[in-house]
Amino acid sequence: MNKSTIHPDETLLTAYSAGSLPLSQALCISAHVEHCPTCQQEIKHLNDLGSELMQQLKPSPGSTDLKAQLLARLDSLDETHEAPTRIDKTISRCLHQFIKNGYQNLAWKRVSPDIHSVELCRDSNGAKVELLRIKPGGAATTHTHLGDEYTVILEGSFSDESGLYQKGDFLLRDASHQHRPVATQDGECICLAVTEGPIQFTGLFSRLLNPLIRRSYA
Amino acid sequence: MGQSKTSSERLASLQGWVQKVAEHRDKAAFAELFDHYVPLIRAYSLAREPAADLVADELAQEVMMRIWLKASSYDPKLANLNTWIFTLARNCRIDYLRRNSRYVSEIDPTEIFENIEDESPGPFQLVHQTRAQDNIRSRLDKLPAAQAEILSKVYLQGKSHQQTSEELKLPLGTVKSRVRLALKKLEVLVTR
Ligand SMILES: [Zn+2]
Repeated sequence: MNKSTIHPDETLLTAYSAGSLPLSQALCISAHVEHCPTCQQEIKHLNDLGSELMQQLKPSPGSTDLKAQLLARLDSLDETHEAPTRIDKTISRCLHQFIKNGYQNLAWKRVSPDIHSVELCRDSNGAKVELLRIKPGGAATTHTHLGDEYTVILEGSFSDESGLYQKGDFLLRDASHQHRPVATQDGECICLAVTEGPIQFTGLFSRLLNPLIRRSYA
Repeated sequence: MGQSKTSSERLASLQGWVQKVAEHRDKAAFAELFDHYVPLIRAYSLAREPAADLVADELAQEVMMRIWLKASSYDPKLANLNTWIFTLARNCRIDYLRRNSRYVSEIDPTEIFENIEDESPGPFQLVHQTRAQDNIRSRLDKLPAAQAEILSKVYLQGKSHQQTSEELKLPLGTVKSRVRLALKKLEVLVTR
């Protein structure tokens, strides 16, 4: 198997470092990078590049007012600032905002005998962010999707036509790609999945329309 | 080489000021950091929105507040100070764009972009990192203009690869391959 398929490519890493990636995709990059020393290294370099480019800009001085205002605010900043707390170390740091009490306590919905899913949120571009949970040895039926699909394996492992994927691995499948992931026998597999799709509209019409545009695991 | 000596001396005094802010809540040191970094942060903001002077002030103010609050978590062994400031400015820009976008994302970017800087590197990585940064700096000037232009659109103007390709009237594949070539020349890509 080509090793590069388990890492985001340099286009994605560059956009992540530059800050121009949709947040749902950045979430997947972050979940992968937490487990990947190689990509950590490359992102450090990419951030260094961003920094060097910034140093080359022609400086645009701020007003003395701005400086005075800011200096006057510093003491009150200290008073209101709360140090961030870390919660559950078994869960990716970037997912803490959605998972407060472990995977077990999420509102999982049954999609098929082998698969449960829970939607975490929507991105501003309409992309759906969800977790998928596949039973040991369980299979998803062959499926396609409308837009690109980003997957990061959070727990366990699965295989499809292209190979075996393990914890931390990142996969990008485009709409033309048909695949049939199967969880390995030794444990259940939990994945973070982001599916690009049209913006969701609210209201009666969308309730009629949405089933048509939802991804189906038949 | 004289130039790089002065720039590393300047970096050392900037680092000293950050340390004073962290340890003594030193406002005079903070004012020095303001004088050095605010013009750069404003320039970074103006690169994306050329006429938006107030936005530039807002971004600069936000970044400076984070410097004040986070100075004690900055470790010069983990990241170059300029790189730390760049990531703060980028994160503030992401926050600003999220707050002002038409469809607001439900995803909070805070924890997404902060998991890289905290990991402690081994001694090998430290040497490697300094050398990598020197390479980037010295090779950036020698980059062909067409590649440098694309990097600037992506990093400073905040354009996606798609937007870059539309603005430069180049196929998306050409934009991606120029970025890739530039990253190779700068030795940013360690493994590919
Ligand atoms: Zn990786």
